[in-house]
Amino acid sequence: MKLLIVDDSAIIRSRIARVLSDLRLNSIEVVGMARNGMEAIALFLQNTPDIVTMDITMPEMDGVDCTEKMISLSPECNILVISALSDKATALKALKKGARGFLYKPFTDEELIAAFLELTNP
Amino acid sequence: MSTINESDIQSFVEAVSAFFFQITEEKVEIRSAYLTEGGIAPSTFDLTSYITLSGEFSGRVYFSAPRVMVAHLLLVMQEPDRGDDRLLDAVGEIANTISGNARKHFGEAMQISVPVTQATEHDWLQTVVSPHSYVIIVKWKQYRASVVVDIQCVD
Repeated sequence: MKLLIVDDSAIIRSRIARVLSDLRLNSIEVVGMARNGMEAIALFLQNTPDIVTMDITMPEMDGVDCTEKMISLSPECNILVISALSDKATALKALKKGARGFLYKPFTDEELIAAFLELTNP
Repeated sequence: MSTINESDIQSFVEAVSAFFFQITEEKVEIRSAYLTEGGIAPSTFDLTSYITLSGEFSGRVYFSAPRVMVAHLLLVMQEPDRGDDRLLDAVGEIANTISGNARKHFGEAMQISVPVTQATEHDWLQTVVSPHSYVIIVKWKQYRASVVVDIQCVD
């Protein structure tokens, strides 16, 4: 399973990669990490990931627009939005654009793993 | 322009408290007051980040912390790289998370920018924040950090 991590924070990117790699599911391969929506689309086209973790508030292109673009390119892609924006409207907007899960920051390792497994083993 | 009310302010206090508890699994000590009430100065520490608000609000939310506190937080988060770039990244992410979590109270009407981060000199915050700012002092372990909520409603 190919994973693309999208977040403008390097700490969050490395934490998601570490926690999900520590799951030791052989099938998980981090194929790219992007700092904004534009970088994410380029990596998405190069690597065709199966699952994407997506921040919302980012420079260049935000996570809602990026989600919409990725879903238009690959409707089967699983996108897990991970954002600090805690209002319901933002979560609903992302889900409406095609995201399949939403996790609020700050999150614990256990919450990230649970959200990831729920998305990959519905 | 009009100032925000008590429940608006409380949403930031709760966001700050929740952030530290979620990351450290420890309760933090919090003191807070309007700047004009006196008693709490918006202390500037080594590293500061801020989020600029738009939509039905204007102003900024600042987070300032000593380098050693941010490095300790990264240690707790098991982040192996604790270089300057990562420390600045961390204060930016903290300001982003606190402001984003406050949207649970404010809703979409409060638009937030990506964080701006910088190393800061002593008293920098006092030169940039307005007198009606609300100051939240966080004490975690032996460290202190400042959150300054300097926002107004756009009428």
